[in-house]
Amino acid sequence: MISFLILMATVVCFSAILALALNFQWGLGGMVNFGLAGLYALGAYSCALLMLKGGANTFFATLGAMAIVAAACGIIALVTLRVAEEDYFAIVTLGAGEMLRLAVLNEDWLTKGALGLTGVPRPLGEIIAPEHYQYFQLGLALGVLLGTVWFLNVIARSPFGRIVRALREDDVVAATLGKHVLWARVRIFAIGGAIIGLAGSFHAFYYQYIDPTQFSNIVIAYAFMAVIAGGRGAHYGTIAGAAIVMVLLEGSRFIKDLIPMLDSDQLAAIRIIIIGVGLILLLIFRPQGFAREYRLQVEIR
Amino acid sequence: MLQTAFNGLITGIIVTLPALSVTLLFGVLKFPNFAVGAMMTLAAYMVFALNVQLGWPLTIATAAVAVAFGGLLIVIDYLTFRPLRQRDSITLMVASLGLGFVLENIARLAYGNTARSFAIELARPFRFLDIRMNREQMITVVVSTLAMLAMYFLLTRMPIGRAMRAVSDNPALALVRGIESPRIIRWTWFIAGMLLAVGGVLIGMDRALEPPMGSSYLIAAFAAAILGGLGSPLGAFVGALIIGIVSELATLVIPPNYRIGIPLCVIALILIFRPQGLFGQPYIRK
Repeated sequence: MISFLILMATVVCFSAILALALNFQWGLGGMVNFGLAGLYALGAYSCALLMLKGGANTFFATLGAMAIVAAACGIIALVTLRVAEEDYFAIVTLGAGEMLRLAVLNEDWLTKGALGLTGVPRPLGEIIAPEHYQYFQLGLALGVLLGTVWFLNVIARSPFGRIVRALREDDVVAATLGKHVLWARVRIFAIGGAIIGLAGSFHAFYYQYIDPTQFSNIVIAYAFMAVIAGGRGAHYGTIAGAAIVMVLLEGSRFIKDLIPMLDSDQLAAIRIIIIGVGLILLLIFRPQGFAREYRLQVEIR
Repeated sequence: MLQTAFNGLITGIIVTLPALSVTLLFGVLKFPNFAVGAMMTLAAYMVFALNVQLGWPLTIATAAVAVAFGGLLIVIDYLTFRPLRQRDSITLMVASLGLGFVLENIARLAYGNTARSFAIELARPFRFLDIRMNREQMITVVVSTLAMLAMYFLLTRMPIGRAMRAVSDNPALALVRGIESPRIIRWTWFIAGMLLAVGGVLIGMDRALEPPMGSSYLIAAFAAAILGGLGSPLGAFVGALIIGIVSELATLVIPPNYRIGIPLCVIALILIFRPQGLFGQPYIRK
């Protein structure tokens, strides 16, 4: 049971990193990302392939995956350089995500298609004894999660963070004030992409086996649910949201014990239905989420 | 080559119906609806239930579901999008994405992931000038053309169609002229529901019924609508034909698995070179 809780906490950690990435792009920057599942897959596969085919160690593979996903996100953001409408951007991200998932499924020579990649190495996997490894993994995941939050907090309070929020509120005003909207957008999306790559790498380390089915729509549904529940723009709220959604998701495995005639496809369908309904209900009744975005506040005495 | 172009034309004709729904819904509600694909899936499975499980003829089943689905979408809109009407379009897009997940997985919950097909008897394909054309493709052409003519008539000749265009053009002005937008929104959903139900059946006839069938046409439908200029019904029609032919011809050069990449490239090119689409008005931000 302890072991289950530790593994669960590790999953929550890297899922929270993914949710933080979406929170930065969408919650802070107002750039909605419907291609999250494909980009997450890109991160996980880049990391795994850099190690398996490129011979990189886990640290450089993670950095490489972050760079690759950041570049992909930057290119996606560049496509919309002439239109400032979020509508088009959402459609482009959706299509790009689908393309990435198709590529993972069809490029057998590289990704082994539906079979998936096995034997992905783990950080310090040879040095640490297998019976202690889960503790180390949780510690590492927690450390990286805290590092990500620290990094995002620094950005959110920096001058660049103010541009990010200004773009979300009104890009025309930001442009009028002399801010380079396109370049800022590319940077926002690329930074988010690097964090998606980080989360994807941890996904690969944790499961040690990746296949295309792990990167289905449930990833998108889960991340949006976590960000909305946590409150758009609120980092700690997003982490809490990610933890709650993940516990609910994992907990829904026990529905099978209650209703035995469901097969695994139906169970997966029920989980997505619950998340989808929850998403809409949250948007209607609690759009601001359960935590608040950081605001610079001054006490007036 | 000719056969490929012809197949592309058929693909394009199939895309016209969802593309038209996308553009109508965008015109009146001002956000791209990502649930359109899943709506087609659900409608196709409803037709499947009547056609295969209850043994109704396909035409009657489709007509019944088209009307019922139009009504269902009005109810869905009332429950999900109406409370969000005043929010920004990102919120509405996210809600529609969530709705899409729900609808697609209701179909998956009921019928699983196995591919199914409608009960239609097989017929020998026709040949005309070296082009092979099977009966399903003929039905597709006839049904889509009729639907398009009906839509053209509705939008240009009927009061409700003119009101829809007015609301899509300038909601405030339409309101001043006494056009009630809630009524127009209900009608738009009803018409979109009928188009999507027929579109879902055509996709199911062309390929097979499986939960992702509708979503796989989502990008193509968006590409067609954007190519024609979002909000322009005629543009959506022309855009869909172009998208269909180009993506089918492209399979001569690129692997067919990446067919979905063509609409995506088309979107990227339009956004870079002509953001308003072929038939749209340049958009001026206020």
